[in-house]
Amino acid sequence: MTGFGGGAYHDGQQLLELLAVVSECSDEVSAAQAAVERAATALEAEVAAVVIDDEVTAVVGFPVGRVPAADLVSVACRERDNVDVPGVGRCHAFAADWGGGRPGHLVLARWGAQGFSVEERNVVRGMARLLELALTMLRTLQAEHEMRERSERQAAENAELLASLQQRQRLLEHLFDVQRAISRRRPLPQVLDMIAAAARQLLGDGAVGLWLRDDSDPQQISLVAGAGLAVDIERETPTMPLAEAGTVGAAIMSGGVVVGDDNTEGLASMAAPVHDSGTVTGGLVVVADHPGRCYAPPEVQMLQSFAEHVSLALTDANTVDRMHQAFHDSVTGLASRSLFLDRLAHQLELIGHGGARVALLFIDLDRFKVINDTLGHAAGDTLLTITADRIVAQLRDSDVAARFGGDEFAVMLQNVSTPSDAAKVADRILRGLHEPMRIAGRQLQVNASIGIALSTHGMTDPAALVRRADIAMYRAKRNGRGRYDVFADEMLLAFTDGETHPTG
Amino acid sequence: MNTDACPDGRRWMGVGQSSATEPRTAAAQAAHTALTGADPKLLVVWAAITYDLAQTLAGVRDVVGPDVPVIGCTTRGEICDGGANDGTVVVAAIGGPGFAVTTAAAENVAGRQREAGEELGRSVTEIPGLPHRVLMLLTDGLVRDQEQIVRGCYTVLGASVPLFGGSGADGWRMKRAYLLAGDRVLTNAVVAATIHSDAPLSVGVRHGFRPVGEPMIVTGSRDGRIQTVDDRPALDVYLDRLGAPAEAYTDKEALMRFALPRPLGLQRRNGVDARNVSTQIDLEGRSLGGGGSFDHGGLVWAMTGDEQSILAATDAACQEALAGLGGREPVGLLTISCAAIRAILDDEALRRDNARLAKWAEQAPFAGFYAYGEIARARGIHGFHNQTLAVLALG
Repeated sequence: MTGFGGGAYHDGQQLLELLAVVSECSDEVSAAQAAVERAATALEAEVAAVVIDDEVTAVVGFPVGRVPAADLVSVACRERDNVDVPGVGRCHAFAADWGGGRPGHLVLARWGAQGFSVEERNVVRGMARLLELALTMLRTLQAEHEMRERSERQAAENAELLASLQQRQRLLEHLFDVQRAISRRRPLPQVLDMIAAAARQLLGDGAVGLWLRDDSDPQQISLVAGAGLAVDIERETPTMPLAEAGTVGAAIMSGGVVVGDDNTEGLASMAAPVHDSGTVTGGLVVVADHPGRCYAPPEVQMLQSFAEHVSLALTDANTVDRMHQAFHDSVTGLASRSLFLDRLAHQLELIGHGGARVALLFIDLDRFKVINDTLGHAAGDTLLTITADRIVAQLRDSDVAARFGGDEFAVMLQNVSTPSDAAKVADRILRGLHEPMRIAGRQLQVNASIGIALSTHGMTDPAALVRRADIAMYRAKRNGRGRYDVFADEMLLAFTDGETHPTG
Repeated sequence: MNTDACPDGRRWMGVGQSSATEPRTAAAQAAHTALTGADPKLLVVWAAITYDLAQTLAGVRDVVGPDVPVIGCTTRGEICDGGANDGTVVVAAIGGPGFAVTTAAAENVAGRQREAGEELGRSVTEIPGLPHRVLMLLTDGLVRDQEQIVRGCYTVLGASVPLFGGSGADGWRMKRAYLLAGDRVLTNAVVAATIHSDAPLSVGVRHGFRPVGEPMIVTGSRDGRIQTVDDRPALDVYLDRLGAPAEAYTDKEALMRFALPRPLGLQRRNGVDARNVSTQIDLEGRSLGGGGSFDHGGLVWAMTGDEQSILAATDAACQEALAGLGGREPVGLLTISCAAIRAILDDEALRRDNARLAKWAEQAPFAGFYAYGEIARARGIHGFHNQTLAVLALG
């Protein structure tokens, strides 16, 4: 296993892959079979099955004719947590359920000493929810197809039925479009607007709005997407306290669908909560465009479907963010230490025994701790952000900058011939950083110490290069700060002979 | 060449190799050397594409009777202890009362890969007294979607039988690979041998590549190929990430050469699978593909490898296979490696890799070939691999 690939990200990916596979299927049977194979692949499990109405409707992992249906149903009903798999032995088993019109279960079984982890169980639950959605849609499409054929024969008398069927057909088509947009990772605002527009069109209402809790104050909500709204949310973002948010506020606080009475203008509304990774983070609300509007149960379900898709889009978009966070420093946006070292290792490998060299600059801010302690963490973060921007401003596109933590930064310069090439960059960075910074209402001036080390012929270990630059940086600090020093072999001797590494 | 038999004398394996230019002679020589015990149960023939396979088969039949099952395929190089890696015929024979073998073949496979896999899965039987089984598959490596052949087997057999094998090759000509099934020479086919044994049979598999840089997200895919990665043309992102030379962006041959030792890694729950993207080049559409389908939302990596990482994978695959024998010494190893690693290992390095296999085999013989894809499924559902070494240890 590689050191990268965060669990949260990967889980989101598994759901998307399942979505991609089942959305290609044209009937329930093939969708269920595709889903069990995808689920087994994702969880590296031997067995996966779908159980509906106490019957195994799709399964993989058993020899044909030897499917222990009763055992799988028992797992689905929580009566057992293992199943015997021919050729493998007793396997840990786990089931995730879905409710709705036709409840079912997704069952996984895997050999090994450990059962399924909490994260894996969550993935299976997510897959079960997605599968329910896909199976329901396919079943409805099938039923509609049959009913439509019948209705066409009795056209006139079934005009009303036909209209309602056509509307549901449109719902399914919209939802497929939305699923495709999510799985193709269209930008989040575009997906959310698409959902709002579809909801407005199908519910035939005046306006649809998606409100999300603010990151900084969860008691406050902001309007982030909508259709038929009086405000232009590209230019302004309306916010309001959750407690005063009427139907949508009630839906967020209760975690369920709320159908509101007529509001002050005499218009009805309903709202459904939306989730990000299982937590309620906002609500999708529709407001009627004429007095006396009532919402029938199928319309409530329709709103829930749209809200589910908002949740899917939010969860997906945020898992991408979380992955970005795993590789980047959250304060400065620069590469993280692990990403930087990986890039450095790759660069060293690329140049191998060739003539090109890599230069590493190790940068340490001289007064960071004092500023952080006296002006507070927010000021410290601002200082780090400005520092990062000023470092990056001196680099080429092919160079990489990272924050190693605290007040330490590192820069990799590619294709450097001599130490003086790197020294020119270090000098520019020092002068850039020395320019006054405006932080927390004050004018501050900071210094940095920079250590420079160049890769040597055949060097492959990135840690060795970092250590050399670190030693040179320490020498620069000892030589009076606000300067750079280039690593030389004798520094290594001096260092091991008793110089100690400064802390902080 | 060398042989081994288990202490109870119930199972043996022998390997022979010949570089004689005349196919019938070469095959007869190799088969003769391989037949080191009584009661042979299966002969597996791996021949360089330069050999006429009908003549090769005739040579094998000159040595062994018509009742002994024979399977085999053409290669991108042959593997056995101490021999040359090209232009030879290698024969592995197993026998003794502790083994039993049944064979089957599926033909006209292209377009119905999954069905063909199901057919072969249904051919697997049980034999009382020989509780251990493995289904060995040799496929035509020029048929696409080989993953579906393996999946077809799995849907019929479930986890009850481990799968092992590889895709027959044609010495990198990319025109036609051939298979041996009994007394027939086939193409566009899969041949299978179910090996039944009274001792454990164990499969191991590893690739020897490391991810480079950040993972990338498949933002667009169609027909199993990646169109875009991180919303940019997949081919360009891949080449940028690996610091490819300018000609790899525009010249098909240069791109093939560059991509061959640099697979695309596909993130899975417990690791990164390597996929060879050098065989299905798309300079015009700037897409990437090969070695199985890619879906929207998948996480992929650019990968590189070197001798050190490949030797480490050889160690790991052998260790994994041998660990499954429950402390028994192997009577032999079958080793199927990827043709693409030959772009990384020169002849000297290949010899060092062979020496590594010999170390793990200890006194036992080993034989195999360089393939266009490897099959190894011992755990989970996934069984078709690229750029790996697949090892079957016969207890």
